[in-house]
Amino acid sequence: MPSASKTHADSRFDRLVYERVRLGMMSALAVRDELTFSELKTLFDVSDGNLSAHARKLEDAGYVTCTKSFDGRRPKSVYRLTAAGRAALNRYLDHVEAVIKATRTA
Amino acid sequence: MRSPSAVALDAHAAATLRYIRASMDAAGTVAVSGSAGVAMGVIGLLAATLASTGSLRPHWLAVWLFAAALACSVGGVLMARQASLQGFTLFGAPVRKFILCLAPGLFAGAAMTFVHWQENNLHAIPATWLLLYGCALISTSAPTTRMVGILGSLFALLGLITFCLPESLQTVALGAGFGGLHLVFGVMIRRKSRVS
Repeated sequence: MPSASKTHADSRFDRLVYERVRLGMMSALAVRDELTFSELKTLFDVSDGNLSAHARKLEDAGYVTCTKSFDGRRPKSVYRLTAAGRAALNRYLDHVEAVIKATRTA
Repeated sequence: MRSPSAVALDAHAAATLRYIRASMDAAGTVAVSGSAGVAMGVIGLLAATLASTGSLRPHWLAVWLFAAALACSVGGVLMARQASLQGFTLFGAPVRKFILCLAPGLFAGAAMTFVHWQENNLHAIPATWLLLYGCALISTSAPTTRMVGILGSLFALLGLITFCLPESLQTVALGAGFGGLHLVFGVMIRRKSRVS
């Protein structure tokens, strides 16, 4: 039987990674060292506010880091996937694969 | 018999995996192989040397066409090897983008070669090759790296200069481009990938 803390971690993970834009952001960052805010916005075709909110949630969870700088006079935010974020994505992939295996053998 | 809910769950999980894969493909870039650049550079230098030697000089076009086919094959194999080493799929979206960016320039180069050859306008071929290959590389900098764009710009610039060169120096320009530039950038990309 899973411990209470593990169950809590899993449910927190589900809420964070399950959402489509956040899952896409983490998947994209898994294959690129870094992506800027505007690159992510183009990739997922979302508004600034929407992307900011999702990015903040991933940052707060420690799944991505954000480095802010200036490119000339324009502010630039660069996102990177952390080790915890990569582990969470792998865990999510394991869950999805397990679901597929379980339903195919059912 | 599988229940409808199990089928729906399976389909949803499969769709999620497809979405993850699509996100990775859309964000992914093609791993440019420094070894491919070095190998293509060596082939270019050999072609320039052969095409300048006395007996083969009249057949310079055949020498360069053979070298181009060889360099494409070797470069393609080394790029595929690099992609598999880095865990990228060989026929994923980034590779498709790379081919779509590269192909129009190469096709235009092949068509212009045929036109120049038919019109007996052979002296315009080296500059055309350098210019169009440069343009093709500039296009491929989108799914690869900025360094490929810089390499393409240098090829295009060399192509423009070659249009003004006398015929005797055009093989030298081909050697400088397809040999020298490939070799130098191949070494730079190898060094950069080792450091990172």
